[in-house]
Amino acid sequence: MDILSRRGRERLIKYICLLLTVLAVVPLLWIIGEVVYNGVSAINLEFLTALPAPFGESGGGIGNAILGTLIINAMASLFGIPVGILTGMYLSEYDRTSRLGSAVRTVIESLSGVPSIIFGIFAYSLIVLTVRHYTAIAAAFALGLMMIPLIAKATEESMKIVSNDIREAAIALGVPKWVRTTKIVFSIAKGGILTGCLLAFARISGETAPLLFTSLFSFYWPIGIDQPMASLQVLIYNYAMSGFQNWVIKAWGASLLLVIIVVSINVIVRRFAKPKYKAGV
Amino acid sequence: MTLSNSTKLDIQNLNAWFCEKHALKNVNVKIPDKEVVAVIGPSGCGKSTFVRCINRMHELIPGAKASGKALLDGVDVYGGMDVMDVRRKIGMVFQKPNPFPNMSVADNVVAGLKLVGTHSKKELAEIAEERLKSVGLWEEIKDELKKSGASLSGGQQQRLCIARALAMNPEVILMDEPTSALDPASTAKLEELVKKLKNEISVVIITHNVSQAARISDMTAFFYLGELVEFDETRNIFEHPKNPLTERYITGRFG
Repeated sequence: MDILSRRGRERLIKYICLLLTVLAVVPLLWIIGEVVYNGVSAINLEFLTALPAPFGESGGGIGNAILGTLIINAMASLFGIPVGILTGMYLSEYDRTSRLGSAVRTVIESLSGVPSIIFGIFAYSLIVLTVRHYTAIAAAFALGLMMIPLIAKATEESMKIVSNDIREAAIALGVPKWVRTTKIVFSIAKGGILTGCLLAFARISGETAPLLFTSLFSFYWPIGIDQPMASLQVLIYNYAMSGFQNWVIKAWGASLLLVIIVVSINVIVRRFAKPKYKAGV
Repeated sequence: MTLSNSTKLDIQNLNAWFCEKHALKNVNVKIPDKEVVAVIGPSGCGKSTFVRCINRMHELIPGAKASGKALLDGVDVYGGMDVMDVRRKIGMVFQKPNPFPNMSVADNVVAGLKLVGTHSKKELAEIAEERLKSVGLWEEIKDELKKSGASLSGGQQQRLCIARALAMNPEVILMDEPTSALDPASTAKLEELVKKLKNEISVVIITHNVSQAARISDMTAFFYLGELVEFDETRNIFEHPKNPLTERYITGRFG
């Protein structure tokens, strides 16, 4: 009897977990399904390569917004990923105890909770107001700043869980600290750090508010990173609220494309950064 | 007091502290060349601290410090040498095998050389083979050189770690209870290896196992409460200990 009831309890817990997982996943799949259902009909060659059609006219595409998002995200990553990784490395390997370290840690944890619009306003007042026009550089700066706390935290945690035995092994071989940090601890923690970078990339790919204050939008092809630049996020925001059928469908198509971009970058990066050895195998 | 060989490592007035705690009190030991020195004593007696002072790893612990001299062929490791050189000349093997999990078996052996040296690929492969042979691993794993170092069994991992230390061509190798995580068969292999190693270099080995000290060492140092109680030829320590504390410890009456 006892055994039966214990088995019963095991099953109960398992099914509760399953039920909650389904409850969590269903709305997400629903959203993706809706995006695919509504967006897929918008996607064709003209959609991917042409400039937007003027309001009220049919046809046209979102080529400039696709290119703009790729440029802005690339610039944001070039800024946010190295700074984030080096910050996390510092916190894990060089400063676990000092006041500066814990101050940085607190700042990072609170930064990841700051609404994204604040990053936009910050970049706006720092860069846009100074140069007196909207610019993609300010957008990349705002998005890069948003990436830093996410990546720094992921790096710190992934490096911290590397066993001290491994660090001691390197010390005993007379390996200088920076070599040990980069070639051993970082290399072992790579998987977790990569996940952090991809999550941060996905996060900024969905941000609209910081872009409204920085790169704004353009109906033309990008002509320079110091100029206003179209982006999928702002395009979706504008088109979805336009009430104009051609644009609303294009907003769905752009949303689908954004999902596809994030997923493909995820897959590609993971493929190329596959660890040679899984831990413990 | 020593058997026949000259002194490799002359430790003079060595003291060590953890913050306020005086962990090692005025230790004087002459480690002979090409012999095995066993370090025994109850937990917390300062064995590990002593060994970690020799390759200057003790000072890495926040609040820890050391004073005194440790002369390696007459050159003080505290002051006369770059600390990285000290650790390359005095290798160390730990209680828990700690191969680098991000490297293959072969890369693990030459990790130290690869990370700091300028050896060619061919040289590295030769050194890896030679060192795996000297720890008796080559025949067992020559077909698995590309696998992760962490994929080997515990005993193989520990011998891999010894090969990794040997690849740096050290003059002394320190071992901190290298068999305490191993099964009896792996322990026996490792003990054979230690006996073989002294043809090349000096070995300082901490052990909790008194009979292991008797089996493999030429000299034995007995520590108690941070002091070196007795240091003599292993035979004398086990047959005619001078200090009653030593006798009580080796006969298993405390510790």
